[in-house]
Amino acid sequence: MSRPDWIVLALTLLAIIAYGLYKSRTTRDLDGYILSNRMVPWYMVLLGIMGTQASAVTFLSAPGQAYTDGMRFVQYYFGLPLAMIVVCASFVPVFRRLKVYTAYEYLEQRFDLKTRTLTSLLFLLQRGISTGISIAAPSIILSSLLGWNILWTNVFMGGLLVIYTVSGGAKAIAYTQQLQMIIIFSGMAIAGYMVVRGLPAGVGLSEVLHIGGKAGKMNVITTGFRPGGGFDWNDRYNLLSGIIGGFFLQLSYFGADQSQVGRYLTARSTSESRLGLLLNGLVKVPMQFMILLLGVMVFAFYQYHPRPVFFNQSQIAKLEQSKYKDSAAVLLARYDAGERARLKAAGEPGGREVQLERTQVADRATVKRWLDDPAVGGDSNDTNYIFLRFVTDYLPVGLIGLLIAVIVLAAWGSIAATLNSLASCTIVDFHRRFARAPIPPEREYRLSQWYTLVWGVFCVAMAQLAYNVGNSLIEAVNVLGSLFYGVILGVFLVAFFRRGTGGRAVFISAVIVEIGVIVLGVLGKKGIVPLGFLWYNVVGAVGVVVLSEMLQLNFGRTSAVSKADRNGRGL
Amino acid sequence: MEREQFSDEKVPLFKKWSYWYMLVAGFLLLCIGVFYFLTKHFS
Repeated sequence: MSRPDWIVLALTLLAIIAYGLYKSRTTRDLDGYILSNRMVPWYMVLLGIMGTQASAVTFLSAPGQAYTDGMRFVQYYFGLPLAMIVVCASFVPVFRRLKVYTAYEYLEQRFDLKTRTLTSLLFLLQRGISTGISIAAPSIILSSLLGWNILWTNVFMGGLLVIYTVSGGAKAIAYTQQLQMIIIFSGMAIAGYMVVRGLPAGVGLSEVLHIGGKAGKMNVITTGFRPGGGFDWNDRYNLLSGIIGGFFLQLSYFGADQSQVGRYLTARSTSESRLGLLLNGLVKVPMQFMILLLGVMVFAFYQYHPRPVFFNQSQIAKLEQSKYKDSAAVLLARYDAGERARLKAAGEPGGREVQLERTQVADRATVKRWLDDPAVGGDSNDTNYIFLRFVTDYLPVGLIGLLIAVIVLAAWGSIAATLNSLASCTIVDFHRRFARAPIPPEREYRLSQWYTLVWGVFCVAMAQLAYNVGNSLIEAVNVLGSLFYGVILGVFLVAFFRRGTGGRAVFISAVIVEIGVIVLGVLGKKGIVPLGFLWYNVVGAVGVVVLSEMLQLNFGRTSAVSKADRNGRGL
Repeated sequence: MEREQFSDEKVPLFKKWSYWYMLVAGFLLLCIGVFYFLTKHFS
């Protein structure tokens, strides 16, 4: 990166940290630190929800995903608006009325202590590990693309934000997320404009869509049914898995994951919590569509500009050190010459361009095959590198720094909220709950700050571990959330909608179904049970509801009436 | 669900939250419709 890019990057990040520290003043108790004294307006709730969900990988991966696989990934979000409706109608009023700090606190009032502890523990386990990975994933990309040291990149990505997160808690997070989202949207809009500006005269959005469509990138809606008939359950992104599987995933994420619950509990009123969530339901799908469209635009851009044979340059360097180094040198020279010829032949009659493109595709496949060779030990998937490679190769000085800042800020927004939620659950669901004597508010505030710091260090250490273990862990952790989310959601669905079911039945069901879903995940990984990971959410949630119902029938209905119901505070 | 509505709660723009829910669900349907058209048109 050039010096001006470094300056833009450093100034942007320093501005965020300074702003976070400036907005850190809050009451020195849990209400101030965890819930920002419930004073956040609806538009900050909206930006906080969006900033928490959109991680660095959202902006790195999604354009690359559209470039390689087309726009069908947008279907993953189709369940979100429907989940927002259910969360607003059922979850928000109860959480607000009971004035809980964490979602799991409600479960003790509705069921018992062990159910609350189990779900909170599942959340801490799953979120702690996956946050480490969400630091590692963009760090690995940035470090290999820009040649940065991985440890320092991990500290940069997951450590610096700890300064304002520890200091200001939920309030600092809400204010910085607001500024971060403005910078992120501006950066992505500028990137989109630069792609269009790089297209030849006469090539506009309509031509871009036609180019994308011709290459199969405009597959926004796919049914998931095989051409020969039958539904493909292993297909990750299609209309049905997006609406049903996505609904369960998003309902669990927004209704039972403290990193999101903690955002909308900070709102000034129930009305403002709801408004933030519903507006998120309105804007999320179009926003993801636009990010994916950027990938199609980059694809069209490369029809008129030279493309690298492989977008992750560090892997090419690996090949050049391997047993394939001589063959790779020949292939790379041929590929570069082929790119020049392809661009020259563009638009010529006779189909020469198509012929040349076939040779280029074959060369790219050869590079991937070499990288897959265990002797090389490379990574043949360069999807996550496509957008940033475009940025570093084609954007002017200064804008590169801004776009790198966008990626880092996206990571910060998401990680800061998660650290706050991990600390909230640790102090509220464990430390305070199991303390022998009441803890003074000032001490709870201090303890929350310490827990935020400890979780920050834990997540950076997890990120470093993930890097050392390699891609297999990162891929495995991609499905980690779906292994736990369904069961946690199932517990909440029983709590809200099955009043006759008690704590004993739901606890036993949660344990059994969780083991079942993990077994299903292992079998899926081995290819024995081919099931897309979104369906694990459905299996987990439905499994807990059905099994707890059966167990409760066996136990008898009379024992199920909860404390919350008795006090007239439940549904 | 509406029995959960608080006395201090004012619904913005509409009379009831259920109208907001219909708007969100309707907008999702509209998006799917537009995306289906884009898929068919540019395939």
